[in-house]
Amino acid sequence: MSAGNGAVPISPDGAVRLEGGVEVKAGRHREASLYHALAGAGAGDGRTLAQLREAALKVYERSELPVWRRSGFWSTSLQSLDLDALETSVREEGVPEVVRRTLPDGPHAGRIVQSAGAVVQVELDRALAARGVILCSLEQAFEQHGELVSEWYCKRLPIDRHKLEAANAAFWTGGAFLHVPAGVVVEEPFEIVYAIDRAGVAQYGRTLVLGGPTSDFRVHEYDLAEDFGDETPPAPGPGQSLHAGAFELYLQDGARCRLAQLQDWGSGEVFDCSTRFVGVGRDAYCHWLPALLGGHLVRQHLELAVMEKGGDMAFRGLFFAEEHEHLDVFAVDLHETGPSGGDVHWRGAATGESRASFEGLIQIDPGAQQTHTYLQIHSMMLSPKARIDAIPSVLVAADDVSASHGGTVGELDETAIFYMQSRGLDRAAAVRVIVEGFFEPLVAELGDEALEQLVRGRVAEKLAAAREDIEAYATSR
Amino acid sequence: MADLEIKDLHVRTEEREILRGVDLEINRGEIHALMGPNGSGKSTLANTLLGHPSYEITSGSIVFKGQDITESEPHERAKAGLFLAFQYPVSIPGVSVANFLRMAINAKRDEPIQVKEFRTQLQHAIELLDVDKAFTSRHLNDGFSGGEKKRAEILQMAMLAPDIAILDETDSGLDIDALRTVAEGVQRLHDEQGLGALIITHYQRILHYVKPQFVHILMDGRIVLEGGVELVERLEREGYDQIRQEFGGQGELAA
Repeated sequence: MSAGNGAVPISPDGAVRLEGGVEVKAGRHREASLYHALAGAGAGDGRTLAQLREAALKVYERSELPVWRRSGFWSTSLQSLDLDALETSVREEGVPEVVRRTLPDGPHAGRIVQSAGAVVQVELDRALAARGVILCSLEQAFEQHGELVSEWYCKRLPIDRHKLEAANAAFWTGGAFLHVPAGVVVEEPFEIVYAIDRAGVAQYGRTLVLGGPTSDFRVHEYDLAEDFGDETPPAPGPGQSLHAGAFELYLQDGARCRLAQLQDWGSGEVFDCSTRFVGVGRDAYCHWLPALLGGHLVRQHLELAVMEKGGDMAFRGLFFAEEHEHLDVFAVDLHETGPSGGDVHWRGAATGESRASFEGLIQIDPGAQQTHTYLQIHSMMLSPKARIDAIPSVLVAADDVSASHGGTVGELDETAIFYMQSRGLDRAAAVRVIVEGFFEPLVAELGDEALEQLVRGRVAEKLAAAREDIEAYATSR
Repeated sequence: MADLEIKDLHVRTEEREILRGVDLEINRGEIHALMGPNGSGKSTLANTLLGHPSYEITSGSIVFKGQDITESEPHERAKAGLFLAFQYPVSIPGVSVANFLRMAINAKRDEPIQVKEFRTQLQHAIELLDVDKAFTSRHLNDGFSGGEKKRAEILQMAMLAPDIAILDETDSGLDIDALRTVAEGVQRLHDEQGLGALIITHYQRILHYVKPQFVHILMDGRIVLEGGVELVERLEREGYDQIRQEFGGQGELAA
């Protein structure tokens, strides 16, 4: 697998420089893009883990907590995070209650659970282990499968863009490693769980997943926190927790993966600043669907890249922000070679005084001919003080491609509500039907009944919690 | 006392007064046609009867089965047994026809309907309205053709079994086959379940398939002429202009 040798260098003024010195002038779309796709190789350039940790530590020490500002829109600032007050505990006992409560009982191929800084549970189907499937902590993987892990670790992820990325690379403990070897087909999902059960935790989650040639499998990641914000009186000590995550998944020739993520950090003051990279190899396919359902301040850099010819992807996602939550998603649909296919479809809703921003970038690198991709983002605002910014952008440096984007911004449709009321549904039920219907095309794509029910259930809970807010909005118009 | 009694109903929107004193009585088992030119207030009456929030009742009353529902919420009117087949049915993406029907039926009941009972009812309604079974698993009105939307309205009416249904220009935009299916559906619900209906239209053609016992002509927010099916024939011969010449002055005087 080549490591992104077709990536586009982007200069600080936003212009794109192509091979041979040709410069593509920045258009309006370019100026609208605040974040950049990860360019070129990651930090894993042959250095040992210790060397990478040391390099990251230096960046950590000299950098400030990150702030991203977009004039006229919003700022995403992690500067209110009191990092010194948080601890990365590696002595954790047992699987946290929130995990027991939330995870479906259904069959799974394997499960790994990290609580705060320690892996507290690892399960793997014996028959799969016998066929060479590996599921263990990333720490253990470095000890026992050093050669395999080192080849892929940080292949595309950098460690130096900001303080929290560096902190993860320097301080991560536990972690998850999954390897599905060539030709292995697994029906049931592998579950990777990161849980925070109290305030005062800094969790540096680190995941590496490898899909060997023609392997076929599912990964369900859960990011869960106890509702420690609800404690009255408030628990003593700092009220914050942090999840700074780094996730990488590489699919080799002809591999197929369905990757779903359920993120719900509950009502506590949980900050989440994570980067996820999925690399699709030759003729491989990934269906990726994050469901971002809560967190005090969440910033996600999500990148799904076709790295070799014939790769194809479906990049889905949904989010639902409530109360005072702040969500900032940057999703990249990256094509490094062609022919390749992409299909990006996101849906988000916001209630209360929440803020959500979704920035979707289609980037087609030079030489990625015969790429066909489409990005759509639909949003629905359910309260007068909620705000969603949907910012699509397209960066194309090849001429035989099709790339476009579309989307809708919606509010509750009073005609639809009256229509349903005229059939006997009360107003709250009608609103629920509309919002659930809005998310349903994506929820149904999860393709896993238990996970679908979990997401539907959370959406219903959020709507119930925001009922008064939604009523007030309707009567104010 | 009639099942549905509309008395001296005056209705306005933010811009203007639309209904200027409508009186109408409808019983179960009766088929009424309400006809009138564009802008006469037919759709306003339909929407007002179900409590659309954009229409304000300035005076008059609506009494349904002895209960004054003039101020009731739309869903309360529906639960009491009123139904409105929309002129422009709204699409509800993400919800199948069958699931929506189940929700609507359960909204009227204390106990949720049994799966088997629901299936039987649905099967019966599907046959009545000559629709494909696959139709019920499609998202409600989402991507439906004009004819499919109107069939879906009648399918809902058949399943919800109201006492009185108001059909707001259900015939507009339908080809002759769809029109016949829809009209025959209404006639059969009348014959089998004793449905009472107010069929709002400004064409005569639907009335070739459903035979109204009572015909009312609405002009400028007021019922100006009432009679039996012979009124439809007269209208066909003379058109609205003739009637307007005869009765139009009254509205002006009253205003």
